[in-house]
Amino acid sequence: MSQRKRESNANELSRRGFLKGAGLGAGAVATGVMTPAETLLAAEKKDEIRGPGELAVTLRVNGRRHRLQVEPRVTLLDALRDRLGVTGPKKVCDHGECGACTVLLDGRPVYACMNLAADVAARNLPVETVENLGTPEHLNTLQQEWVRQDASQCGFCTSGFIMAATALLRDTPHPSPEQVREQLSGNLCRCGTYPKIFAAVEAAARRGPGSA
Amino acid sequence: MLKKKVRATGGIIIPPLNGQPQKIADAETIEVPVPAGEPPLWDVYTRPQVVGQPIPRIDGPIKVTGRARYTYDQLPAGLLHAVLVRSAHPHARLLSVDIAPAQKMPGVRAVIRLDSPDLMRASAASAAGNPEQAAAIRQAASHSQKSKTMLFVGDEIAAVAADTLEQAEDAARAIRIEYESLPFVTDVAAARQPDAPRVHAGQDNIRPLPSPHGPDGDRGDVHEGLAQADAVIETRYETNVAMQNALEPHGSVAWWDAPNHLTVWASTQGIFGFRGDLAHFFQMPASQVRVITDYLGGGFGAKFGAGIYGIAAAWLARETRAPVKLMLDRKAENLAVGNRPSSHQQLRLGAKKDGTLTAIEVVNFGTPGIGHGAGAGAASRRFYLCPNVSQRDHDVATNLGPAAAFRAPGWPQGAFALEQAMDELADKLQLDPLELRQKNYWDKPFKALRIQYEIGAARFGWRRRAQIAASNRNSGPVKRGLGMATSCWPTFGRPPAQARVVVHSDGAVEVTVGCQDIGGGMRMIAAQVTAEEFGLRPHQVRVHIGDTQPGIYGPASGGSVTTTSVAPAIRAAAYDARQKLLAAIAPRLGAAPESLRLRGGKLLGAPRALSFASACRLLRHATISAEADRAQNYEPHLTEMHGAQFAEVEVDTETGRIRVVKITAVHDCGRSMNRLLVESQVNGGIIMGLSYALLEGRVVDHPTGHVMNSNLDFYKLAGTREIPELDVVILDAIDPRGNNLDVKGIGEPVIVPTAAAIGNAVAHALGGLHIRELPMTPDRVLNALAAVRA
Repeated sequence: MSQRKRESNANELSRRGFLKGAGLGAGAVATGVMTPAETLLAAEKKDEIRGPGELAVTLRVNGRRHRLQVEPRVTLLDALRDRLGVTGPKKVCDHGECGACTVLLDGRPVYACMNLAADVAARNLPVETVENLGTPEHLNTLQQEWVRQDASQCGFCTSGFIMAATALLRDTPHPSPEQVREQLSGNLCRCGTYPKIFAAVEAAARRGPGSA
Repeated sequence: MLKKKVRATGGIIIPPLNGQPQKIADAETIEVPVPAGEPPLWDVYTRPQVVGQPIPRIDGPIKVTGRARYTYDQLPAGLLHAVLVRSAHPHARLLSVDIAPAQKMPGVRAVIRLDSPDLMRASAASAAGNPEQAAAIRQAASHSQKSKTMLFVGDEIAAVAADTLEQAEDAARAIRIEYESLPFVTDVAAARQPDAPRVHAGQDNIRPLPSPHGPDGDRGDVHEGLAQADAVIETRYETNVAMQNALEPHGSVAWWDAPNHLTVWASTQGIFGFRGDLAHFFQMPASQVRVITDYLGGGFGAKFGAGIYGIAAAWLARETRAPVKLMLDRKAENLAVGNRPSSHQQLRLGAKKDGTLTAIEVVNFGTPGIGHGAGAGAASRRFYLCPNVSQRDHDVATNLGPAAAFRAPGWPQGAFALEQAMDELADKLQLDPLELRQKNYWDKPFKALRIQYEIGAARFGWRRRAQIAASNRNSGPVKRGLGMATSCWPTFGRPPAQARVVVHSDGAVEVTVGCQDIGGGMRMIAAQVTAEEFGLRPHQVRVHIGDTQPGIYGPASGGSVTTTSVAPAIRAAAYDARQKLLAAIAPRLGAAPESLRLRGGKLLGAPRALSFASACRLLRHATISAEADRAQNYEPHLTEMHGAQFAEVEVDTETGRIRVVKITAVHDCGRSMNRLLVESQVNGGIIMGLSYALLEGRVVDHPTGHVMNSNLDFYKLAGTREIPELDVVILDAIDPRGNNLDVKGIGEPVIVPTAAAIGNAVAHALGGLHIRELPMTPDRVLNALAAVRA
């Protein structure tokens, strides 16, 4: 299953689903008073209308809880980058097209730009970013192989690719070359580093998780 | 300048292949005029210890952990977020721009208009400390209502800075703009008509570009050449506008850390050019502007100057007295800041029966939108030894965003047409396409192309062509094809470029350069070249790069010049620093400096061997520092970089889908500094070329003048599913006439031939039917097949 499909399954309230849902429900609910954000939150928490002003939410990121104020429309990506300073996930397309912002939400790879921070917080889902893997001094196996194969050129796609590959290797420790290409098909690299990315993921799989 | 003649041997180093050991071919010893102060020459027999080794780059760990801080990641305290407001019309006068509603919005700190040259001048005057002058200009401007004409959808009108990005976006939407729509044209064929709307007032839409004359330019007489030919082909090819889409968008983070000092983090390929643009706009000394590019998320030619976005960020920072981040969104990236122009090329090629070319003629019309420079490169002039060559390029202005340099500007377009025309000519002459190219080989000193053809053909299995063509006749709907194309790119590397190397008494070695690492690995190359001179490992060298503050100049990264220009300056500085270090410590060891050597992290040749750090401790509190300038190339005319790419494709004649199965690529970049990095660049050029060939094309709705695929969903880039098997061979074409490392560039030659090689392979699969337009999408393949059947 491609990451894009996986993402829409993983999230009841992805940004894309959100927009679609808001459009469909417009006839029934919207009266011109409520914004789509309000409509959606109202639909979820039937008796409570929140927003469009800032909400106090708690995000679980890389094993730590962060309290922050965000408007309901703020994406998980912007909350991570601008509010929490977690800048590993990159903003490239902001529309779920490139994968540079891939993070793990409750263990599944998703586009952080296609999820709303308030929703992720409301569902109390843990967020894992590239910052939670190895450090520059103590790289994990996948990161070591990434460096060894020269799988980053400019490096702007790297964080997203590594998170998508991390999800793959946790689910499927010994993926076939076809599975590697499939699982990473939701990520784009403009420098054209793909062959070395494949090599890095396959080499990491051969070494296994214990060899870090 | 004082020069001495030094004997050095050039030649082609062929790496170990197919179980064969490394070989040197075409070795030739020459005398090279070397300026005084240059380090000892390297030649084809030099075996550096660190340079050329496939060592993983030193900035790998920081990139794979998400710790590399790009411009987009900068978060200074009190940061404001800015967005630009852009024209919604392809050609319009602005009747009014009302920013007042936006100024009242929550969180908004400043709104500025970018549509008036007067207002921009006023801002510059204000920033330069002339408030009276600024007020006078503003006063005059408020009466004149003078405003620039919007020339394309995406032209800049205003900018907003607010506490959050969302607030800035809200405010941008609140600005009220009244347009007076003007006639416009976005279709190239329509723009060429005499009665077409004028894109630039008072100027023809068609502008002929200058043609260089000389041995590497237009030459001879094409009509005479065609008259002498036994076979003439006349053909046409078209390429679409391709959009750059570096993943990190254009943009900057600017703040005035003092009233007369501006610091900017910028996503740029040229920190000094960016600095110059800002200094010019704000009428301040360039040394009072600091531009930093620590990590750059990709740059393929469109990130040189500061642009309106860079000026707007600094201007907003001035108005708000706060740091301001202004990064373009993906739509703006695709509308406003550069693309590869289209081309519509008509060619005539003439040759003798034996394949000897007698004439190459190219007439090209391409659109650079409202910009300029839609030439199709110089493949026609540089690839083959043909006595009669003419290329006439024309810009065709349209109401679309401006073109910019894009990885080998013009050449992939030109090669796509020329190299397929060569295959058409070979067909007509009943010659093998590779033989036709070998027949017209242009011999130059230390040129690798002849060997590249041979190695590529052998590894790829070029001989399978006839057999594949035969089996296609009896196969099902999926046809297989083999094609190839030539590459060439001139050596533009030259001064000015500088480097500084400092050795500390604790053994730390630092190198400072003034270029930026756009992803090619210049950080690593700086470390390797420095480490070589000190007998260290590259990871022991600290590299300072991408900052104008130290005043060490580096060139913009364009034209494949970065390594070629900067690395020789690094070697000169490192060599000088090493000589100074040995001279300083030799007396303390009771040794002669000439007897001392640095190798494997040790000082050798003294009465007792010392570690490098222990040797440096002999400096006590002092440091060693050396700066060097890039010397002129030892000889002015250097042989270009070359390459040959061979493509194997499958074409499904029922669905029209093309699948690239394999590409074999043989390239050279003088002496390669690091095989891992060179391979990555070759892979990247091929994949970008494949993407250009099969997927990428700007789609414009001509009735409205809007770009329909200014995103990454409907503008297709090659992804994991499109990547073929790649077989990359790097030759070291050692040309001792250039610089102290014999280094040339690699970024651009690798994209030049790919689309052409794929095109030729497709034509081979389809029995000689060429797909004449890029991208070669399934509909174009099916239409071409249908036209043949009809």
